[in-house]
Amino acid sequence: MEKLIEILKKYNADVDYYTNEHLIDEELLDSFDIISIVADIDNEFDVEITAKDIIPENFNSAEKLYDLIKRLS
Amino acid sequence: MEINSLKFILFVAVVIIAYIITPKKYKWVTLLLSSYIFYWLNSNQLIIFMLITTLSIYLLSLLLGKIDKRLELEIKDKEKEEKKKLKEKAKTKKKLVVLIALIINLGILGVIKYFNFFSGNINTLLNLFNLNIQIPSMQFILPLGISYYTLQGLSYVIDVYRQKIDPDKNLGRVALFLAFFPQIVEGPIGRYKELATKLYEPHKIEFQNIKSGSLLVLWGFFQKMVIADRLAILVDTVFGNYTQYSGLIIICAILFYTFQIYADFAGCINIVRGVAEIFGITLAENFKRPFFSKSVQEFWRRWNITLGTWLKEYVFYSVAFSKWYLHLTTKLKEKLKKHAHLSKTILALCPLFFVWFSNGLWHGASWKYIFYGMYYFVIMSIGMLLEPVFKKTINFLKININSKKYKIWQMLRTFILVNIGMLIFRATNISSAFTILKSMFNFSNFGEILNGKMLSLGLDKGEFTIVIISLIIMLIVDFLQEKNYHVREEIGKRNVLIRWTIYYVGIFSIIIFGIYGKDYNPSSFIYGQF
Repeated sequence: MEKLIEILKKYNADVDYYTNEHLIDEELLDSFDIISIVADIDNEFDVEITAKDIIPENFNSAEKLYDLIKRLS
Repeated sequence: MEINSLKFILFVAVVIIAYIITPKKYKWVTLLLSSYIFYWLNSNQLIIFMLITTLSIYLLSLLLGKIDKRLELEIKDKEKEEKKKLKEKAKTKKKLVVLIALIINLGILGVIKYFNFFSGNINTLLNLFNLNIQIPSMQFILPLGISYYTLQGLSYVIDVYRQKIDPDKNLGRVALFLAFFPQIVEGPIGRYKELATKLYEPHKIEFQNIKSGSLLVLWGFFQKMVIADRLAILVDTVFGNYTQYSGLIIICAILFYTFQIYADFAGCINIVRGVAEIFGITLAENFKRPFFSKSVQEFWRRWNITLGTWLKEYVFYSVAFSKWYLHLTTKLKEKLKKHAHLSKTILALCPLFFVWFSNGLWHGASWKYIFYGMYYFVIMSIGMLLEPVFKKTINFLKININSKKYKIWQMLRTFILVNIGMLIFRATNISSAFTILKSMFNFSNFGEILNGKMLSLGLDKGEFTIVIISLIIMLIVDFLQEKNYHVREEIGKRNVLIRWTIYYVGIFSIIIFGIYGKDYNPSSFIYGQF
């Protein structure tokens, strides 16, 4: 989880990723950030996030994103 | 059978009666048969293309589901490495299946809609190299709604491929999803998950739905026949002889065209959604007051929404989250470590290019439409690249971005950019678009406005008055909706006298002020040709 938060901080450092559950809904991360985040996750965790996983529910919080990574690994 | 015709209203009335008397279990059959009859009446034997699309996506989706199921069984109790290998193998097979679906369906669309465009361009290239070979041009009749049902069909098969939905074993449900009769004309482009079950499930025809749906149909007729078709008279005159006009007349024609295409397209969608509502079916919204947009990006989130969503989901995501692109992302980020904004923009632009190219090409087989798509791509690219400069300027000038004035400026700026886009869209070709754009700034004949030339463009004083009042009504309705005022609900709450006065005024204004073609033939919808 720490590794993931480190990645997310690169795109918006002002967010508390431990508590925020509306990263997409509140437009704290946009779809262009998501492209880079997915590339970083691919490198860091060796999981393949594909177009089918690109839904707001998977990216709205660090926890949900971490769940996705665990599911895919 | 145009959907703004009396014939269509009678057709809907017959389908409603048939739907009511059909037993619950078979109501979907009534809808499917009606849809096929509607299609046959419009396109005769060209229905074969829709049947090919239906069968191909149905069978190939089942095959995709089978591959997934088999994989599930195969990977049980297997080691991680073995699992990975089996998954890769299944993925390759699935890719092949989805590729076949794409080839069949885009192939049909490509040949029927784009053959002459591509062959013409290839011939030009061959001529350039002095090769004496010519691909002959062919005349195809475009089957009704092919650009819409093809996208719907592909979205279904791709969603199955991505495991977002399960393949449907019921061929009837898949067929109805593609053919539903009001929707087939101009969309909105539906998604299987949201639409298929709604269409298939039996609905009781409720009085409330008839009332509310009919009001939406009435509003659609008003937009199309009173506004769009009237504006078209002036627009056609000016754009048909654009070399003879300049300055304010050109500006007026462009503005009128922007409102014409909105009233035409949104009017059609309102008729479609209204008819569906009578059957208890809610279709996706395709417009959300686009002229209140504060940026071009926002405009496209409010204009032809279902096409935009489709392109985002199946073009943008397919490029941006493909393996090669993610690989490129990592490399580019490494190289541009110190320029985060630049690397983010460049990474966004590549998938956006494909989106706007597809958007342009989807609208029609000509360079003009591709140029139209590229126009939006360039505007957005400039906007994204210069974002830091804009931010600095705003800070330097101490502009309050939350102020009403600034928001109005943003809306105005967006509206102007959209109008230029509409000018490209309406012009016969790219060079005439540039000529019109140039002549827009020629005010040497300014006096023409005062000496009555404006009234010689097909609309007399009375017609102008009708069109201006109708436009104001349309914009007021949009404004109220923007303020979350549910116009139809509010009308429904009024007492009988007020309610029926509104209904009668609506009906009679369409009968009296509606534009009727030669021999009272209804005019076609602009987006019907795509």
